[in-house]
Amino acid sequence: MDLKRLELARLYNRFGFGPRPGEFTQALKAGVAATKQSFLNPPLIDSGAVALPAVTDLGKRPEPNTPEIIIFARQLRSQNENIELWWLDQMVATNKPLQEKMVWFWHGHWATSIGKVNYAMPMLKQNETFRKYATGNFNEFAKAMFMDGAMQIWLDGGENTLKAPNENFSREMMELFVLGVNRYTETDVKELARAFTGYQVSRSSGVVVYNEKRRDMKSVTILGKSAVMSPDDAIAHLVSQPNCARFIAERIWYRFVSSQQPLPANHQMISAFAGREIAPVLSTLINGTDLVNPQYEIVKSPVEWFIGVCRALSLTPSKLDSFNKLHGYLEKLSQVPFSPPNVGGWPTDEAWLSSASAQFRIAFATWLVNQADLSTIEAQVPASRAAYLADLLAVVEWSPRTAFALREVRDVVPRLVILAICSPEYVVSA
Amino acid sequence: MNEIPTMSAEQLGMSKYTRRQFLKFSGAATAATAASVLSMNDIAEAAITRPLPLGTPILVVVSLYGGNDGLNTVIPYQDTAYYSARPTLNYKPETLLPLTDGLALNASMTGIKSLWDVQKVAIVRGVGYPKPDRSHFSSMAIWQTGSPQTHLSTGWLGRWLDNQAVDPMMAISLGSVLPPLLAGAKQSGSALPLGGLAIPAGAIGKACLRLSAASQRDSKLSAAAATSMRNLFSVSGSVTPVLAQPAPLADDLPTVAGGNAGGDSNLTQQLNIVAKLIAAGAPTKVWSVSLGGFDTHANEANAQAALLGTVSSSISKFLSQMKASGRSKDITVMVYSEFGRRVKANGSDGTDHGTSGPMFLIGDRVQGGMYGDQPSLTKLIDGDLAVTTDFRDVYSSVIENVLQTPAEKVLGNWSGRVKAFKSA
Repeated sequence: MDLKRLELARLYNRFGFGPRPGEFTQALKAGVAATKQSFLNPPLIDSGAVALPAVTDLGKRPEPNTPEIIIFARQLRSQNENIELWWLDQMVATNKPLQEKMVWFWHGHWATSIGKVNYAMPMLKQNETFRKYATGNFNEFAKAMFMDGAMQIWLDGGENTLKAPNENFSREMMELFVLGVNRYTETDVKELARAFTGYQVSRSSGVVVYNEKRRDMKSVTILGKSAVMSPDDAIAHLVSQPNCARFIAERIWYRFVSSQQPLPANHQMISAFAGREIAPVLSTLINGTDLVNPQYEIVKSPVEWFIGVCRALSLTPSKLDSFNKLHGYLEKLSQVPFSPPNVGGWPTDEAWLSSASAQFRIAFATWLVNQADLSTIEAQVPASRAAYLADLLAVVEWSPRTAFALREVRDVVPRLVILAICSPEYVVSA
Repeated sequence: MNEIPTMSAEQLGMSKYTRRQFLKFSGAATAATAASVLSMNDIAEAAITRPLPLGTPILVVVSLYGGNDGLNTVIPYQDTAYYSARPTLNYKPETLLPLTDGLALNASMTGIKSLWDVQKVAIVRGVGYPKPDRSHFSSMAIWQTGSPQTHLSTGWLGRWLDNQAVDPMMAISLGSVLPPLLAGAKQSGSALPLGGLAIPAGAIGKACLRLSAASQRDSKLSAAAATSMRNLFSVSGSVTPVLAQPAPLADDLPTVAGGNAGGDSNLTQQLNIVAKLIAAGAPTKVWSVSLGGFDTHANEANAQAALLGTVSSSISKFLSQMKASGRSKDITVMVYSEFGRRVKANGSDGTDHGTSGPMFLIGDRVQGGMYGDQPSLTKLIDGDLAVTTDFRDVYSSVIENVLQTPAEKVLGNWSGRVKAFKSA
């Protein structure tokens, strides 16, 4: 295996959403070190940034069978569509691929679904928080996520009161967000729930307010420390645990390197997180040797696959015909932005490789390729089209099986492209 | 990129490959295996031409995601402790469906109550495992892998699959993501989305078939990607005609507060398709369906009742559909959730994550009645119900009585059993 191609392909496919036309060839010339630098030190401003969609506070849902409910339902649907398309467009258009990939990573980490939140406004605000802290300070990030309206709605924060503590948010804060499962006791969950009491959220705007009457003012004991703790104090205490560094390194490993093999003990990412800054963890990983280790393969999730195709074929999600079809394909492949299946985020690897998803991927690919301008591929002589596609798509190498399958259809360019993007070599990031 | 395509079909792995080779290149278990020679065509043909013989037992697993509140499913309605633990989240006795032993079903479960009345429902009480884990993900993983102590990457039915001939039709899960339950080391179940699979037709179909051939150069995941596409052809070849009719619309999507812990939301539709496929003779011995939304931390009563009503009505409808097919005697339905919920309500009229809960076994082969001890409401362990039956007791009995396989092959040396099946 060509290790230079492997490392560059992983940079583009995992730490971004795949190359645009010409980028991979350019990177091969520029070399691995220079390409890593371009990922780690992007321009300050994202010149590709797509303007935020207009989202307004729609207020309470009107009563059923009133004229207001029809207008309300229409606005709600349109806002939900708009934020989905906006983010998909943003992923395709970004010139800061690592930043955008981290926003996507955090969405799967603090997995919150519009299915329960309902309103676009809190979901969009949460996405802006992901952007603000994507490679920033994790302690500040976790505190901001406690005050996040969508998260408070999602995990019943408003139901957690002095009289009746609700453990949903406190458990997930430790298990899924900061420490990892079994790195705390059941008593810690109950105590943290008390420290989290007293907050209420407006469902439509996502504004979180403090209500002293609902607050448990007594001292709590969390992971061996007893004190009267505000949510910020409690979160800072969790984040300062050594297990937090291990956990965040594990999650980054799981999504960027391998979900099959565990994070090696004492991996350098853990010590790179000593100051709880996210950026050094990423540069440690990218500058380390894991990216040239061929055993760490990973399956692209459906959104990653789709965005990669759009970037390679210069497609814009909001210009595809139509939103409903696009949304339908993503739904069938079981991955729609803003709608993770549960608070644990999306599955990985083999879960995306069912016979059902193979079918939908072929149909989706056909639909996309039929809307793409393939003239640059058609301009290649048939014998060099497979090699051209490997560079266009950042595929390390075609297996003899796929090379044969591509060769059989190389004169029919749309079919050739459909095959290339449905091939095991593209679906899997080697 | 620089390799020259080898044109030999055999080298490409297109016409045949041995199971040993497959295992070697998929990185799966390396245990000695039978050297049976397989090909894509064999599998597709077997699926179409070898319908499951009448009289072959079939298992339908219903997974309830989110942690079903067992105490409001099989309700200890004559126990005063129930009312004091849940002062505003209890049911009036006269609204419930009484069973035996001071227990009653949730009022929404009329379908299952009718089946109970004809002795087709076994309720196994207090089911769980040692040191209950209250995380949805860990606990569901424990239930699905069947392994409380050590982390396994195979599901309990996946290990059963590992002991069966390779056949993508052997175990099928409804929905497009395969649950870990059906993941085996040598073969996994297939996923079937609602609405069925369609084979890509014409030239693109032919091209995809080439693309999905096994290659000796495939890594583990590339091989899995190729296999998933290859199975599309064999699975869809036999099920598409059955599903030519448009799938029924999901008519049972309950509006749920708090459903965020996995599972599909259209159980009736899933079971409709399973019923059609079983009636058509699909060579499938295990089906997996699911319903999510049981994570009722707040305002539980209506949401859970709607969900339990769906579970109950879809199962009773499914079994009545099976009568016409002549296969109703073959079917056993098993219902479980990853944990029960805390005994004491949490004050948002919901319940937090708890421990044990009831399991249901339903069908003609089941000896109806209560099994296992009802956990006490007064002798709680840290506020939670005791586990009185290990789920491996139930799994072992299902593996032996329904799947007719020695339980040892799936669960190792496990001695507990639940004698809830009629003797053959």
